[in-house]
Amino acid sequence: MTAVAEKLEMRSERWRGLLASPQFASLAILVIVLAAFSAVNPNFLSPLNISNMMAFLPELGIMALAMTLLLTAGEFDLSVGAVFALGPVIVMLLAQTAGIDIGVALLIGLLVCIAIGAINGLIVTKIGISSFLVTLSMLLIVRGAALYITQGFPLKSWDQPGVFVTLLAGSFDLGPFKLYVSLWWFIALTLLCAYILNYAKLGNWISAIGSNRNAAVARGVPADAVKIWLFIFTSVLAGLAGMISAFRISAASPVAGTGYELEVIAMVVVGGTALTGGRGTILGTVVGAFMLRAIRNGIVLIGVPGLAFNIFVGAIILVMLVLHALIQKRSAWR
Amino acid sequence: MTAEVLRLERIRKSFGSVNALKNASMTLKEGEVVALVGDNGAGKSTLIKAISGVHPIDGGEIFMHGRKVAITSARDAIDLGIETIHQDTSLAPDLSIARNLFLGREPVKLSFLGVLAPLDFTELRSSASALLKRVGISKKLDADATVNTLSGGERQSIAISRAMQFAAKVIILDEPTNNLGVEETHGVLRFVKEVRAAGHTVLFITHNIHHVFEVADRIIVMRRGEIVAERTVADTDLLTVESLIMGADMSKLLRDKQVH
Repeated sequence: MTAVAEKLEMRSERWRGLLASPQFASLAILVIVLAAFSAVNPNFLSPLNISNMMAFLPELGIMALAMTLLLTAGEFDLSVGAVFALGPVIVMLLAQTAGIDIGVALLIGLLVCIAIGAINGLIVTKIGISSFLVTLSMLLIVRGAALYITQGFPLKSWDQPGVFVTLLAGSFDLGPFKLYVSLWWFIALTLLCAYILNYAKLGNWISAIGSNRNAAVARGVPADAVKIWLFIFTSVLAGLAGMISAFRISAASPVAGTGYELEVIAMVVVGGTALTGGRGTILGTVVGAFMLRAIRNGIVLIGVPGLAFNIFVGAIILVMLVLHALIQKRSAWR
Repeated sequence: MTAEVLRLERIRKSFGSVNALKNASMTLKEGEVVALVGDNGAGKSTLIKAISGVHPIDGGEIFMHGRKVAITSARDAIDLGIETIHQDTSLAPDLSIARNLFLGREPVKLSFLGVLAPLDFTELRSSASALLKRVGISKKLDADATVNTLSGGERQSIAISRAMQFAAKVIILDEPTNNLGVEETHGVLRFVKEVRAAGHTVLFITHNIHHVFEVADRIIVMRRGEIVAERTVADTDLLTVESLIMGADMSKLLRDKQVH
């Protein structure tokens, strides 16, 4: 076989691999889901509904991006939903009750998120307790703290215009669509995370740690440090998403983000990232985020009763997971 | 006379009240295959983990080419030219062959970006392909194929090649033939001989005494955390080595068994 023929064969092999990849399967299902919802209710793809979906999507999507990196490294974080609430609650208390400058308050809020992530990471890596147990405990601590310091009542958010409000929750029109600045945050962070995971040295380390931690450590990869930084990154992005949400809706609620941890993990695994670590895909997570938001929105629009709502969401997630497992098995048999 | 590469003197390591290594001393010379044998709990794994930086030692000294060195992490060992291939744990199965070959030593562009520096994929692929050709694995492998598509023998060959690629002075193989089929085992043993021919020193840990006699030049026997014997393969036999491992005269035991 000539060198050219060999190259062509390898290229077609790579294309076949891409078509059989989990993110491609998710993308195909997303297209089917979008087509089905719009066929049943044409309003599904109306500018108003798309604008509505796009307001909410980046906030969960940003958390899902960080969670993808963490899951790829073999860990996960159940405290993101609680951090989503505590971050803005601290900022609003400092700015409104203590009269601290909003910029300083935001910085302190982010420092608290860094501390939460660092504690999660240090306990998981240095004491060796599973991230499930550590972050479950942290969920309770952080949620409890948010409820206690607010006495359970939502705080009125920052409503004075300023650079931070514009940066976090500014809106703009794009043709018939009304979009929020958070979309730019989501796009920028997607590009950053995709770059890290697929092209940077750090991405190679993250995948290796999740795939076989001992092998990575034996090659001199600082596995614990990488994991601690990923826990911090996840907490910071959860806090940032919470602040974006609080500024957008002008309220910081201590119960905001309840259940988001599972929805975010679902977005990541539906996109094709392995829950067991080693294999992560940012493109898949973006598709997963779109899919879960579209399903939640579309199911309401096509008239599924509210109480039956979670049945459909759960069933679709299950179908996606089975599909990914079959794809994985097929590629192992080849 | 062959030059000394690695020398360990009175290495000690304890885990709580358990003395896993008690004054273990040994010397490895250039271009030789040394088998480290012993029963379960003899201290073989602890010793190689000490050399490879996984368990820093409590006492004793390590010399590389006659110079005293400190090994406190896996990175220290790698930088000194000591590569360890652990059984079933040396490769990341979800990563491509190319990414595995360069794990921890990734070729990058814009290196000032540190861990965020982009990988140099051209260098990564071309070096990986060249290495695969050199290894001569019969099945045509794409450097972008993930390791979980390879057989156990191919994985071991790739892990050993990686150590050779980075011109390791000492390659430690921890049970490299575990869980391998007969043909694959012979492939790996053949590969060990090639590694020696290329001038590398190999420390070979195994439970299979037959493999020792097939590839090793010298045998070091450990028992209860101590090095109890050292023999050249030419001057010993299987029964003697088994007796040394057990701490009992095997030939006498066999004679007694035949009498009864």
